[in-house]
Formats: sequence, C-alpha cells, structure tokens
Amino acid sequence: MLKADGLVAGYGAAEEILKGASIDVHAGEIVTIIGPNGAGKSTLLKAIAGLVPLKGGTVVMNGADVTRKDALGRSKAGLAFVMQEKNVFGTMSVAENLEIASFGNPSGTTARREAIYARYPVLAGKRKALARTLSGGQRQLLAMGMGLMTEPALLLLDEPTAGLSPKAAEELFAAIIELNNSGLPILMVEQHALEALEISTRGYVIVTGRNAATGPGKELAADPEIRRLFLGG
Amino acid sequence: MTTVAQAILNGMMTGMLIAIPALGLTAIFAVLRYVNFAIGAYATVGAFAAWYVNTRLGLGVFPSAIVAFAAGGFVGLVAEQTALARLRPSGALAVAIASIAVNLILENLIRFIFGNDLQGFDLPIARDWRFAGLRLGPQQVQTAAIAIAIMAAVFLFLRFTRFGKAMRAVADNPDLGRLLGMDPSRIAMITVVLGAGLAGVGGVLLGLDTAIDPMTGSRLLLSIFAAAVLGGLGSIPGAVVGAVMIGIGEELAVLVLPATYRSAVGFATILLILSLRPAGILGERNI
Ligand SMILES: Nc1ncnc2c1ncn2[C@@H]1O[C@H](COP(=O)(O)OP(=O)(O)OP(=O)(O)O)[C@@H](O)[C@H]1O
Ligand SMILES: [Mg+2]
Repeated sequence: MLKADGLVAGYGAAEEILKGASIDVHAGEIVTIIGPNGAGKSTLLKAIAGLVPLKGGTVVMNGADVTRKDALGRSKAGLAFVMQEKNVFGTMSVAENLEIASFGNPSGTTARREAIYARYPVLAGKRKALARTLSGGQRQLLAMGMGLMTEPALLLLDEPTAGLSPKAAEELFAAIIELNNSGLPILMVEQHALEALEISTRGYVIVTGRNAATGPGKELAADPEIRRLFLGG
Repeated sequence: MTTVAQAILNGMMTGMLIAIPALGLTAIFAVLRYVNFAIGAYATVGAFAAWYVNTRLGLGVFPSAIVAFAAGGFVGLVAEQTALARLRPSGALAVAIASIAVNLILENLIRFIFGNDLQGFDLPIARDWRFAGLRLGPQQVQTAAIAIAIMAAVFLFLRFTRFGKAMRAVADNPDLGRLLGMDPSRIAMITVVLGAGLAGVGGVLLGLDTAIDPMTGSRLLLSIFAAAVLGGLGSIPGAVVGAVMIGIGEELAVLVLPATYRSAVGFATILLILSLRPAGILGERNI
C-alpha cells in the first residue's frame, strides 16, 4: 500500500528534522506513529503527503513511485492528509468545504457529499455554518470528510484528537475504527498513545527523526519501556 | 442641506466606481498576500485602452469597459509574471515596493505612447436630471449601473462557481488547497488577471466622468487603497463598503476644506485604521 523508506527532510537551511524515517502501511491497517514532542511526527506525515520537500528517501504508493510528485500528485495517487491544525477552510461553510474538497476530482461531488452527511449526521445539521464556528470534534469530522471527498486509498491523520474533550476523543476514535472497517487504511499520529495503539494493527515510535521501535499496536502498548517513556507509566 | 445631500449622492456615485479597483486590490491581497500599488497604473491602462477603442473605433461604454478589463488584466499578468512573482520569496514588502516601481514604469509608458494631454471620451452629451433639488447625470447613472453589475458578478462568481470557491479556499489556506488538488500559483495568476482587469474597468468608469491622462490611476490610488484598508484588506464586501464611505467622506470634506485637501481623507483613514483597527471594518484578520 504505502512504503516510505529512509525519508530525509526539514525546513530550509536548518538541521534536517527527518533523518531517515521509514513507514509501511498495508491494506486494511490502522498504523499509529507515536513519539515525543518535536520528534518530527508531523513532518513525517507532511513529507509523505508532499507538503515538505524530500532530500532523501522514497515514497511508493500502491506500487507507483511518487517520490518526485508534489502534494497534488500524491493526492491523485490516493493519499489524503488531514493536518493537525488549519485543516478546514474557516471562512467557508461546511457544505462549501466538502464541495471544494473534491476540486481535483469533481465528478459526482453532490452524491459524495451526501454520503459524508449520511456518515456524519452532525455535519448535515451544520451545512450552512462557517467551519470556524464548529466545535473541535465537529471540525475534525469535517476535516476527515474533506479527506474522504478525494476518495483516497490511504488516510493520513495528524493528531485527530488533539484538543478534544475525552468524550469527543472517544467518539472520534470510534469514527476512525468505523472508517477503517469500511476498508480504508489509516496512518495516524497520536498523543493519546495508549488509546491509539490499542486500536492499531501496528505502531511506530519515532524519536529525533528516526525509527526507534515498531511492532503490533497491542505489543507496543504493553511494552514497559515504551509505557515508561511515552505512556506516562 | 441640499449641498450636503448632493455631496452624499456624488460621494456614493464615485464610491461605487472606486469600489471596482478596490475589489481588484483586495482580491489580489486575499490570495497573494501583498498590496499591489500598480493597481493605479492598471486602471490607467484600462482607461486608455477604452478611450482608444471609444474614440478611434466608436465603441460604446459597455464594450469599451470590456476592452479595459482585458487590457488591465493582460498588463497585470505580464507585470506579475515578469517582475512581481519573482520577488515573492523576498516577502510581501519587497513585492509591494516593486509594484510601486511597476506603477511608475507603466505610467511613463502610457505618457510616452499617448502624451501628457487630457483626453476626453466620445459620449453623447446629456442634460442632468434634477429631483428634489439634487442633480444626477445620466452618464453617472450608467456608470454606477455598470459598477453595480460588476460587483454583483464578482459576488456571484466567488459564491457560486467552483473556481470562485477555490479562489476563496486558497486565500484562506493555500496548503490545504494544495492537498485537495488546487494549484495555488495558477489560482494566484487568475486572481491577478481578475484583479488587474477590475482595476482597468474602474479606470474607465472613473475616467468617463471627466477626462483621462497618464496620472489618472495614480491619483486614484490613495482612495482605492484607503477603501480597501477601511473595509479590511482581503475582504470583498469590505472593499465595497469602504469605497462608498471614502467616496462620501471625500465629497463631504471638500464642503469644509479646500479641494486640494480631498486626498487628506484617504490619508487620515489609512492612518486611523492602521493604528486603531488594522483588520478594517469587515476584515478577517490583522494585516
Ligand atoms: N514550518 C516549520 N518551519 C520550521 N521548523 C519547523 C516547522 N514545522 C516544524 N518545525 C520544527 O521541526 C521540528 C519537528 O516538528 P514536528 O511538528 O514534525 O514535530 P512533532 O513530532 O509533530 O511534534 P508535536 O508532538 O509537538 O506535534 C520541531 O523542532 C519544529 O520546531
Ligand atoms: Mg505534530
């Protein structure tokens, strides 16, 4: 499905943030990336999505090498990326956000939007509301809905539950599981590491831009060393 | 009382015309994040292109305005591609300063081609209408009607077309736009054509009333910029509201101040807004 190998990337002239990180995602999986603040988790997702230029490594999507493609090309190759912040158009309505999300692939937009409304009825009740007026959980569902409007083969989520109440976070995890059950593989970064690993097929620990550990989600969640470092006990 | 009412009426009429290039300025700011002072020269280019086809080819006001849009848009695109876009990595201030240079170059090119004289449009002479002691020229009404039609077209375009929505989306969040299959640099270029084209139309609408010369647009620049700042740089409805307020303010000011102080209204507005409420009346964010 996704094979990102030895990624090296950073911002401008400063020291590289990613120093050769590698991630695989196979069909049907939920894969979670955890790691300390500033480890480069967001940068890793951005590099996979094509928002940060690569200085080394390769990205292969469904057998096609997309390393040299920009964000537009990666989106066409089936990657949808829901950013950690600023992941909706705040000055536009919910309906407009969903509609414009299919800009690169507009046929059947209305039907696809109705499918999103059916999946997330809370959005259907807020069609005309400006996206910036939504609650955190609603905004995250909208951002995921926008990603789905591109009809992706793989969904990348950067800290989808950041800033949500425990209840909203739980609902969002349920929504992620439901999406995955419908056949969509998911690669996410999460601060709620324990909850995320519990629902993940596999997990990766990234420290200072490199892979530090990897394994099945439940095994990582049970690993005493990882619990001590990242899971607060 | 009648003089005040007449001033307000005149101010509203001029304001609606200033609104057109102010829309261009604010649209370019919304998407490209810099203030394009060359808008003044684009207005002059439009005015001269329209004047040329009006006096030499006998085209009426409406087709001349379309020519002005095309001429302004074309010159704006060339200036963007050859000069301004290259400076974008150096920041918004560098581009804004370069746009002042573009303004000067274009103004002098027009002077070189058409000379320094005042040029008048070929329009049927019509008597002013009078009601309740107020005067209104049929030409004023026609240009105001064209201005309103253009504003309506811009609103409808941004609100209901796929491309207009993409423009608003990229103005809001270019990275997200790119993730969703939009090409922000292409959308930026189309915004430039649209914005500079609107400036061109504004130039001819404002020139119809009086006469035009190579400085026409530069003289209007202050009012246009003040209108956009007052409404909130980047806000489309703001540009319209700001322009009408500036138009009325300028007409009222010359009732009590010598006419040379007209531009003081624009200056004072810019100073006040930038120091008290940089986001303007309807702006989304601070500059
Ligand atoms: N746009 C940027 N320009 C310059 N440096 C950046 C930029 N974005 C992130 N960085 C730097 O890159 C490093 C890694 O950031 P990144 O956001 O990838 O970390 P993260 O693992 O996602 O952290 P967090 O858990 O806080 O989200 C940080 O030191 C950060 O300051
Ligand atoms: Mg992050």
